[in-house]
Amino acid sequence: MRLEYDVIVVGAGHAGCEAALACSRMGVRTALVTMEISAVARMSCNPSIGGIAKSHLVYELDALGGEIGRNADFTGIQFRTINTKKGASVQSTRVQCDKAAYSKRMLAVLKNEPMLEIVSGTVIEFIVEEDTAKGVRLQSGVSLKSKCVVFCPGTFMNGMIHIGKRSFSGGRNGEQSANEAAKNLDRLGFSCARLKTGTPPRIRASSIDFSKATEQRGDEPPPMFSSEARRIYRMFREEHLDADRTMFHVEHSWSDLMPWLPGWRQMVCHITHTNKICHDIISNSLHLSSLYGGSITGTGVRYCPSIEDKIVKFKDRDSHHVFLEPEGRDTDEYYPNGTSNSLPEDVQIKMIRSIPGLERAEFTKFGYAIEYDFCDPTQLYHTLETKLVRNLFFAGQINGTTGYEEAAAQGFVAGVNAANVVLSKRPVVFSRSQAYIGVLIDDLVTKGTSEPYRMFTSRAEHRLILRQDSAKYRLLSMAKCIAILKKETIIETEHELDEISREMARLKSTYKDGATLAQMLCKKGMRYFDLPGSSQGIGVEGALFIETEIKYQGYIERENRQIANIAKDEAVQIPKDFDYESIVALRFEAREKLSRIRPSTIGQASRVPGVTPADVAIIRIALRRKTEVVH
Amino acid sequence: MQASEQDTIAAIATAPGEGAIAIVRLSGSKSLELADAVFRSKGPRPSARAGGTFVYGHIFEKDGDGGSGKEKIVDEAVLLIFRAPHSYTREDVVEFQVHGGRRSAARVLRLLIQAGARMAEPGEFTRRAFLNGRIDLVQSEAVMDIIRAKSDRAALLAAEQMEGRLSHYVGIIYDDLLLAQADLEATLDFLEDDLEQTVIQGIADRIAVAERRMKGLLSSWNEGRILREGVFVVVAGRPNAGKSTLFNHLLEMDRSIVTRHPGTTRDLIEEAMTLNGYPIRLVDTAGIRETDCEIEAEGISRAQEAIARADILLYVIDASVGPNGEDHKVISMTSARKKIIILNKIDIVQPNVNELVPYHAYHDVVLCSLKTGHGVQEIREVILRSLSGMDAGESHCCIAERHKTQIELALESIAEAARIIQSGEEEISLSAACLRDALERIGSITGRVYYDSLLDSIFSRFCLGK
Ligand SMILES: Cc1cc2nc3c(=O)[nH]c(=O)nc-3n(C[C@H](O)[C@H](O)[C@H](O)COP(=O)(O)OP(=O)(O)OC[C@H]3O[C@@H](n4cnc5c(N)ncnc54)[C@H](O)[C@@H]3O)c2cc1C
Ligand SMILES: Nc1nc2c(ncn2[C@@H]2O[C@H](COP(=O)(O)OP(=O)(O)OP(=O)(O)O)[C@@H](O)[C@H]2O)c(=O)[nH]1
Ligand SMILES: [Mg+2]
Repeated sequence: MRLEYDVIVVGAGHAGCEAALACSRMGVRTALVTMEISAVARMSCNPSIGGIAKSHLVYELDALGGEIGRNADFTGIQFRTINTKKGASVQSTRVQCDKAAYSKRMLAVLKNEPMLEIVSGTVIEFIVEEDTAKGVRLQSGVSLKSKCVVFCPGTFMNGMIHIGKRSFSGGRNGEQSANEAAKNLDRLGFSCARLKTGTPPRIRASSIDFSKATEQRGDEPPPMFSSEARRIYRMFREEHLDADRTMFHVEHSWSDLMPWLPGWRQMVCHITHTNKICHDIISNSLHLSSLYGGSITGTGVRYCPSIEDKIVKFKDRDSHHVFLEPEGRDTDEYYPNGTSNSLPEDVQIKMIRSIPGLERAEFTKFGYAIEYDFCDPTQLYHTLETKLVRNLFFAGQINGTTGYEEAAAQGFVAGVNAANVVLSKRPVVFSRSQAYIGVLIDDLVTKGTSEPYRMFTSRAEHRLILRQDSAKYRLLSMAKCIAILKKETIIETEHELDEISREMARLKSTYKDGATLAQMLCKKGMRYFDLPGSSQGIGVEGALFIETEIKYQGYIERENRQIANIAKDEAVQIPKDFDYESIVALRFEAREKLSRIRPSTIGQASRVPGVTPADVAIIRIALRRKTEVVH
Repeated sequence: MQASEQDTIAAIATAPGEGAIAIVRLSGSKSLELADAVFRSKGPRPSARAGGTFVYGHIFEKDGDGGSGKEKIVDEAVLLIFRAPHSYTREDVVEFQVHGGRRSAARVLRLLIQAGARMAEPGEFTRRAFLNGRIDLVQSEAVMDIIRAKSDRAALLAAEQMEGRLSHYVGIIYDDLLLAQADLEATLDFLEDDLEQTVIQGIADRIAVAERRMKGLLSSWNEGRILREGVFVVVAGRPNAGKSTLFNHLLEMDRSIVTRHPGTTRDLIEEAMTLNGYPIRLVDTAGIRETDCEIEAEGISRAQEAIARADILLYVIDASVGPNGEDHKVISMTSARKKIIILNKIDIVQPNVNELVPYHAYHDVVLCSLKTGHGVQEIREVILRSLSGMDAGESHCCIAERHKTQIELALESIAEAARIIQSGEEEISLSAACLRDALERIGSITGRVYYDSLLDSIFSRFCLGK
């Protein structure tokens, strides 16, 4: 182990892994310090990646050279496209993963990086000199030095686990919390608050009566996030066209990196549902729940509610879905998705056993709620660097988000920008019209959050442009600039894009029966490959992209006009040291908010909650006055 | 000099015309300094006085060229001092109340400009008030309307707008659309199943309600225009019917040339007037007939164009000639909401009432002799009745040009949103895009921000997530 690095990443969760990989792949010497090496990229809750809007983040990360998409594809046990009927812009991929394999593969990927070293240890303090991060101190007494620090502690800061009336400290069930680091942040002047989340119990597969539940199968062919897994899947399919799809008699030595062929032998999930009896058990025990019994003060997730929440807030519903999902290929554990709770153990058993199919359920783990510290993300710049301490970055749950994908996206951005500091390169920031990653970070640093922040497509004002099928094309220039993505992949994508634009031009200029091919494509049910002269060189993904771009054309043009309008405001920079206090005309509330959040552009200022169009006009004038004085 | 937001600006703040007092207003950081330069009183100088005070004194002017001579009194004045931010513009403001009439106010203004103030552009005080956060966008537009208002009634309307009627009404529309949008977004972001028919119907209903309200607002646009710009009243008829005579009667001045030669009036003549507080733009036109004269033909075509746009048409017929088919043609050219037939020169002939029967069925008909002034009062009354018909009464809140465009575009968007949802053929994410566009446009009228309210609305109404 060295004692000096370019970048130190703390916490090998979903944020930390992406951050460490981004740094080391950009060629800077990186250490990934984490409490428990066997818990790398552990899925604290549901072992699935993607879903509505989260899937978009994963496609974007894959297009930029992130790892999360590949890791999910290579360890996936069920692949589905959801939300298909409502339009390409909200259509999403969801991959159910093998929890153990997911973690193992990520560890293997980390170990494969020559510039990356994994260090076991708990960070208790940041070394800060002249408001600049210089390294970290570990519990063992060792100090590690670096030019930048990326901190990704997840739910571990002052983590407090609740089961019924019982509570104890822990970062996740069975893991220690990290409280010293939290104290240190407080001393450094960061403002933190509490949030909470929860997880359902786990159940033994052998104790479930699946005959009482409905099957839910994966899609064939399996939809995947990463171009690499898709390529491997296609290669295999082409080599074995005549063989039975399910019979894989290829010679291959499986490794942690590729535990099986991606997409191979999908597993089945099941759906059952709660009922009146179940709801009564919960209602009668509410006073015993940590959530409703009063022991929890942190704010929970509205859109991923505990079962207590669902029953209290939606009294008129007499049934809720429960998905039974396997945690992996070689495990007997099942995840009853939809039953997250913080009830005492005996009530959990009674409640679960009232659900059809689970009458004889045996528990391997009980559900619990966890409360933890997060730092107000308005204390960050768009690069995720903190405003208080230079070269210190925060990513993941610490910024008030929830979810693996949200964490990974932040980890990637923080990692890239930390490496850029070391390399003296310009910061990389995504705009709201470029990527969901940009929406996520802009929301966090501009508005802050009072509840765990989860991605939604409705948060993106340019949803029709930010589709998952467009991710690799719209982010190509960013990928080139960041330069983590393999050269071949970039060249291949450029090539596809050329072919796509040629093909789109042809569709718009070729007539058949008095209509252009593009017009024909707009008819319902019409697909690209149904058109005369369609090119086989355009792959399935390219075809989807073409179809969507042409069908949405009018709408996309409108969004582009809106983007052009906003771009003017986004281009007007506000100096970092701009003195809002001196503008007496600003309302008190606006002055206070703007001084705290320090937006970097007029565009961002207009999105700060509580700032009115009149306030923005005033800032504009004030900025103009400033430049007038200079000239 | 380049106009700048930093300049101290000055203008006469009272309406032109004879009033007891006239006010000259100064706004900007140098207001008090400038007041010191032109105003003398007992006690401390204006700049040494507190905000919210007033003082009696005199306006002075330096005698002789270059201001080298001794000072002489120009006028007496009361000075009102407002210190930032407790003023209309939130800047330092000084008001000079001087004797009524343009002359003394104009002299004070000239002195202030000599001392270094800049002449304010129209509406610049209000613009500063808006920029300095004193009033919101809708209110500032309303103030501009008050400033431009041509009559008491228009000023009243603008005042109502300032009190937030429009903001309130637009807020209701916004909320309707937001609920529809929340339903749609929830199905996009959370539910995996297809949309239930009842939900679709609910969304469509909400959109329909909003659409009705928006159309109501749009129709108030015309009314707002009438009140802001004045009702467009056009006097028309064949040559020599007595149009210009009528025009002059209504204006109560000899504005248009009257001769016994047909074809006297060659061009449009427009004058502003008020009738019981209603603003009117009265127009005299060339008489309509076949002609070879190029000038007259041009005048006639202008007349026809004015007739087409009229809000009220006063159509004059010479009773000694009598109505004919040509008159009908001209009258049917207009989209005026009110057409009044004026049968003139009844001092020469007793009109043949039978000939007028077809007109009576559709229009008011007034018999008169404009030469003697007989019937003019009745014409005024008929016009007034028509005017109050145009005043929709209670609930109106009128919209400005900017609102009109936004509402029209928003209407297009929601029509498309509704079409997509109901057809069940297309992807509903497109419908959401249209609704979002409409919401942003409606929100922009009062400055409401889209995404903050949306998620709250979604979460309060659905059981979402796993
Ligand atoms: C009980 C529970 C339920 C959840 N339920 C959901 C859910 O339903 N839906 C959802 O979307 N998300 C859920 N999550 C959230 C999801 O797990 C996280 O959002 C995601 O894992 C965050 O990633 P991260 O990288 O920020 O942190 P984590 O994945 O938590 O990783 C943090 C890592 O940092 C290490 N670490 C922490 N402090 C230190 C230190 N001082 N020194 C060294 N190492 C340190 C830890 O050992 C750990 O490996 C849940 C989390 C928990 C714990
Ligand atoms: N006897 C009589 N003569 C009238 C009356 N009203 C107008 N006249 C005369 O009719 C002539 C034409 O009047 P104008 O008002 O100039 O008519 P006009 O319609 O404006 O005519 P053009 O501008 O030429 O189209 C003048 O000599 C008026 O004095 C009326 O009530 N009785
Ligand atoms: Mg005339």
